[in-house]
Amino acid sequence: MNAFKRLLEDLDPVLHERGRLAIVSVLAAAERLTFTELRDALEMTDGNLSVHLQKLEEKGYVAIDKQFVGRKPQTGCRLTHVGRRAFSSYLDRLEAIVRQGRGQAPA
Amino acid sequence: MDARQAARTLEVIRSLMERTCQYQLLTARAGLAAGCLAGLGSLLFLFLDPANRVDFVAVWSLVFLGSLLATLMGTVMRGRERGERVWSRQARAVLWNLAPSLFAALALTGYFVDQGKHLWLPGVWMMCYGQGALATSAYAPHSIRWLGVAFLPLGALTLWLGPNWAVPMMGLVFGLGHIGLGVFLLIQERRESGLRIHRSVA
Repeated sequence: MNAFKRLLEDLDPVLHERGRLAIVSVLAAAERLTFTELRDALEMTDGNLSVHLQKLEEKGYVAIDKQFVGRKPQTGCRLTHVGRRAFSSYLDRLEAIVRQGRGQAPA
Repeated sequence: MDARQAARTLEVIRSLMERTCQYQLLTARAGLAAGCLAGLGSLLFLFLDPANRVDFVAVWSLVFLGSLLATLMGTVMRGRERGERVWSRQARAVLWNLAPSLFAALALTGYFVDQGKHLWLPGVWMMCYGQGALATSAYAPHSIRWLGVAFLPLGALTLWLGPNWAVPMMGLVFGLGHIGLGVFLLIQERRESGLRIHRSVA
């Protein structure tokens, strides 16, 4: 039971929020997504997405760039190496929790 | 969080990642329509002479265009149902990967028809189709990968069997193959119809 508690406590609190986890999951599968693509894929509001992205950027998980495509400004988002490592580690811990629940020893 | 919630979260993450890189607007309806058209095309040669290249090219061009139209309509309808853009990043990636095989198929069709060897085309088309399906497998549903894997040896078999088997093999491979794909996609659509995963997460 202690091992299980430790696994839960080790879950990254920044990623352990469903909105941010969804953003990181989507960015992990794509090299770079625009703010609009991300918003449409997750059906989030602009405000909600901005707040989550800001938090992820502060933590160094997401890099945000701004560029012009033609005359239109475009905001791009991508997962950083730190973010990818954190996401991978979060997935490992989730898998360990599932294994614990099935009565198997964590890897 | 307990083990069940963790497993559910992992499932949601997997679905989100798949949705981001996979082209998911391919419909069962389009697969079934393409299969039926190919079957119908084969049956037409009970009345037409496949050795006549005008008939041969006309029938299979109509089957190809009909299948393309069914796919386009299915895609647009699915896009509207899901509120997703049809001309998405994934759609562009699929078309970009499909383009070389399509070009090869068209060029070879021109050559074989010109040489009067059009009855060898079904094997060539199957192999080009298989190669194209495999080229898009990184972005397409898993069933397309298996379709590609199946079409390559079936194309080789069709070439080996020779012109006498050209029309029956078109009906069997393109017809039954697409109907099989359509049925598989239909089962998958029914299974996933209640699972609007991204909404439960975002």
